[in-house]
Amino acid sequence: MPEDLILPCLYAFFASLGFGFLYNIHGFGIFLCGLGGMLGWLVYLITAPLVHSPIIQSFFAALVISAYSEIMSRVRKAPVTGYLLIAFLPLVPGGGIYYTMKYCVDGMTDLFVSKGLETMGIAGALAAGVLLVSSTVRLITDFHRHRKDSC
Amino acid sequence: MDYDTLLQFATELGYQLQLCGAEIYRIEESVRRVLSAYGASTGEVFAIPNCLIVSVNHPDGRPLTRIRRVGSHGTDIYRLEALNDLSRTICAQVPPLPEAIARLEAICQTQISYSFSFQLFCYFFATLAFCLFFGGTWLDALASGICGVVAGLCLIFLGRVGTNLIFKTFVGGLFSALTAFALSALGFGQNYDVIIIGALMSLVPGIAFTNAMRDIITGDMITGISKTAEAVFVGVFIALSTAAALWIARLLGVV
Repeated sequence: MPEDLILPCLYAFFASLGFGFLYNIHGFGIFLCGLGGMLGWLVYLITAPLVHSPIIQSFFAALVISAYSEIMSRVRKAPVTGYLLIAFLPLVPGGGIYYTMKYCVDGMTDLFVSKGLETMGIAGALAAGVLLVSSTVRLITDFHRHRKDSC
Repeated sequence: MDYDTLLQFATELGYQLQLCGAEIYRIEESVRRVLSAYGASTGEVFAIPNCLIVSVNHPDGRPLTRIRRVGSHGTDIYRLEALNDLSRTICAQVPPLPEAIARLEAICQTQISYSFSFQLFCYFFATLAFCLFFGGTWLDALASGICGVVAGLCLIFLGRVGTNLIFKTFVGGLFSALTAFALSALGFGQNYDVIIIGALMSLVPGIAFTNAMRDIITGDMITGISKTAEAVFVGVFIALSTAAALWIARLLGVV
């Protein structure tokens, strides 16, 4: 079984690495982006037998990637964006967009609607994952700041 | 304290941050902190995707305001990190204003980016990896890499001419999908679906979408909504461009 996990994660790593260069990331940070992409896809695959739903798998992957990016940005004192954007790429439903279009062109309305809804669902799940983690992190930092101010 | 120079500097900092694709809250917070670090506690800043307004009150009561229109721009994480570092050090050390201005200019003048050929190689490499990722064979992946380079060339050249994002995406998607059909018709790669999906990953609006979510979290709804709309438009136009390519390929009888 591990081979089923290792190869896709490795591909996700290299794909994220390539896009890291395209968004002009230099130095060590680029490996962190690749690792983020790999981590996200690993979570996506690991949660598959538990929930059997691409939407919920994407949600969990988004949670983990956001947490990873927040930690990395704190550790390296750099903006979160860099890590978050690139690590997310393997989760973006590019295939979903393509197949939705293809079913539409072929006149397969049933498949078009279900694929289209799934694609939108994945996008929504990714958004929800980012929103949840970032909001929690902001809540915690604001709380700390207020406590420091009042002391 | 020379308020005119301070205003000029803070606006330039915000403008540069915006040009390299920073989130709105980062722009607003950086400008506000820089203003208050130099003692202008009455500073106000407002940013939306294509406009930046900074205003300070002069001690003698005059309000000073500067507006900058922000054109279309890409994402440059390296410069974003450099500018973020600069605003952190300015707030911590508060160097004399001319020195801060010199540091900002130094960052803006050094254009550190990868060479054109290396960028094309990255398009090749990344789309190749994505094709394998979506279950393509090695031959498919090579074909996808070539389509990715085509998409990358379209993006880079149209970007230099200064066309809008949606048109760039449409042209990039159309040409890379046409290349995929041509390659698979020539027997180079078996499964054109996977080839096209791999190449499309260089166009998907992942960046715009994630940034939009972060803007919504921080309460910048105008920015969040307009960026979400942008991401949706780009997604739709990716679908349209491949649909057009599929239609052309069927017309020619290649597929």
